[in-house]
Parts: sequence; structure tokens; C-alpha cells
Amino acid sequence: MNQLAFGLIAADDIDPARSPHWLLPEDAELIFGTISSILVFAVLYKFGWPLFKKALAARTESIQSAMDESETKLADAQTEAAEIRSAAGDIDAERQRLFAEADTEAESILAEGRARLDEEIVELREAAESDIALIGSRASGEIRGEISTLSRRAVDRALAGGMLDDAMQQELIESFISKVGAS
Amino acid sequence: MSDARVQGYAKALFEVARAEGTLDEVEDELFRFARSYESSDELRTALSDEGIPAAKRQAIIEDLLGGKATPTTIQLVSMVVGSGRTRDLPAIIDKLVARASSSKNLAVAEVRSAVPLTDDQQARLKAALANATGSDVNLKVVVDPSIIGGIVATVGDTVIDGSVRTRVDQLKSRL
Repeated sequence: MNQLAFGLIAADDIDPARSPHWLLPEDAELIFGTISSILVFAVLYKFGWPLFKKALAARTESIQSAMDESETKLADAQTEAAEIRSAAGDIDAERQRLFAEADTEAESILAEGRARLDEEIVELREAAESDIALIGSRASGEIRGEISTLSRRAVDRALAGGMLDDAMQQELIESFISKVGAS
Repeated sequence: MSDARVQGYAKALFEVARAEGTLDEVEDELFRFARSYESSDELRTALSDEGIPAAKRQAIIEDLLGGKATPTTIQLVSMVVGSGRTRDLPAIIDKLVARASSSKNLAVAEVRSAVPLTDDQQARLKAALANATGSDVNLKVVVDPSIIGGIVATVGDTVIDGSVRTRVDQLKSRL
């Protein structure tokens, strides 16, 4: 205490414009400063370090938790991505299958349609040919009937008008006699 | 009328004509009369009408055949008409002709012509038919304008048709 007081008194005597060293403090100041610093550090170590350590641990735990969560989410995302890729693959396969089925069905429908059209064309052609033949036959029959009717009328008129004269009658008789005699 | 009765009448007529010695003439006249009877609706109606007394129908016969046929022919037809067998007259006469022809070993040849045949034509036709059938024939010519032209000859079941009518019918059928 005395030393301190002495130092303070002595300091009063020292010229403030003059310093024992341009960098180093006075011994007393160094001692008191060192002690004060040690005290401060001790207090900080005693009371501040646990808090700092605790905060650091909490922070570490929080970061670890966040990292774990991120890993979990990453795994989930990867799983979901795999499922999505799988589903996409299934969808693609299903799409291909549907396309293939659609193509097959379309070809079948097309083939059936063509076959049906061919059958209809054949039926229509046959019906048309039948109609044509029927019409032709009918027309032919009508013409024959008309010719027959006209011919009969012509024969009847010729007979009614005395078709055969005496010479022709005699010729017919002689012809008959000759044929019968030759048989 | 039964065939036996027709045969009986034919036999009776045949015997009468043969007894009279006019079989050929009577046979020919009866044949012509039968054909006339078949072709004439009016004559057929008049002679077969039971409502007309038999005497009157016999008088019609005498009017028709008087001067054109022998008395035997007239009497034979009158007998058949008087006995009520007028409808069977053609069948009876045909049997008579067949019997007469058969008695002379001849086949009856019924010839239908649209116009009358000359004697020469009849002779040649008779020879031709004999040649065709292989037996002599008793030619019976009937003038039938309905055949239009040519001749139709029937000998037994054989028919030789050279008529224009048949040809016209065939032509019509084909038409």
C-alpha cells in the first residue's frame, strides 16, 4: 500500500512529458495491470466460459440437428425422386403400352373397316350386277313378248287374209305325198 | 254308250250294207257324214236334241242326204238317230269303217286336207301311205279348212302331220 502510495506521489513528481520507456509502462502499472487482467480473465473464465461453452454446445447441437434434418430431407428427397423416376418410368411404359394397344386397335379397326368396305363393295357390285341382269332379262322378256305378240298378230292377219293360194296348197300336198312316199 | 253296244251297232250296219252289196259306197258316205256331224255344231245340236221328235230328226237326215247318198246310207243313219244313239253316231261309223277295212285287210287312213284332193293325188297318197305303214290302206279323205294347208294323215295310232296349222302353232309356241 505504501508502495502504491509512493508510486502515486512519485508520479506526481514525474514530468508527464517524460517517460521512462516509450513502449513499456511503469513497473507498478505493469503489475497492477497484470493483476487486474488476471482477475478479469479469472472472472471471465469463472462465469463467462461456462456460458460460452454452453452456447457453443447449443449452437453445435442446433447445427448438427439442422444437418441431420437436412440429411433426412435429402434422403427423403432422394427416395421421392427415385419413386418419381420409377413412376415416370412406369408412366412411360404405360404410355408405350397404351400407344401399342392403340396402334393395334387402330390397325384392327382399319383392317375390319377395309374388310367390311370390301365386302360391301362386293355386295353392292353383286347387287348391281344382279339388278342389271334382272333389268336386262326383264327388258329382254318384254321385247320377246312384244315380238311374240306382234308376230302372232302378223301370222293371224296373214292367215285371215288367205295366205295360201291354190298353187301353194297343191305344192304342200305334193310335198307331203313325196315325203310320206320316201319314208 | 258302252263299247260293246257301239260294236253291236257297227256290226249291224256293216252286215246290212254288205247284204245290200253297197258296202264300199255306204262306208264312204257314212264316214263323210260322221265328219260333217263332228264339225257342225248346228247339225250336232239338231240331231241330238231329245226335245225334237225322232221322226222330225229323221226327216232332217233325209233332207240332208236325199239325192246325195244311197238309200241304204240314209236308212242306216235314220235308224241310229231314231234309236236315240245320235251322239254315238261317229263312233259307230268309225267302227263300221274299221270293220269294213279289216274285212278287206286294209288299214283305215284318215286324211285331212285343206282343199279337195284329186283322184291322182289320192291314189299316190294311198300308195305312199301303204309304203310308209307297210300295209294297204283304206283312204278316207276329209276336207278340213281349219288345217289351213297341207295334209294330216292318221293310220291307226300313227299321225303324219304336214299341216300348215301345226306349223303355225309350233311357230307361235316358239315365238
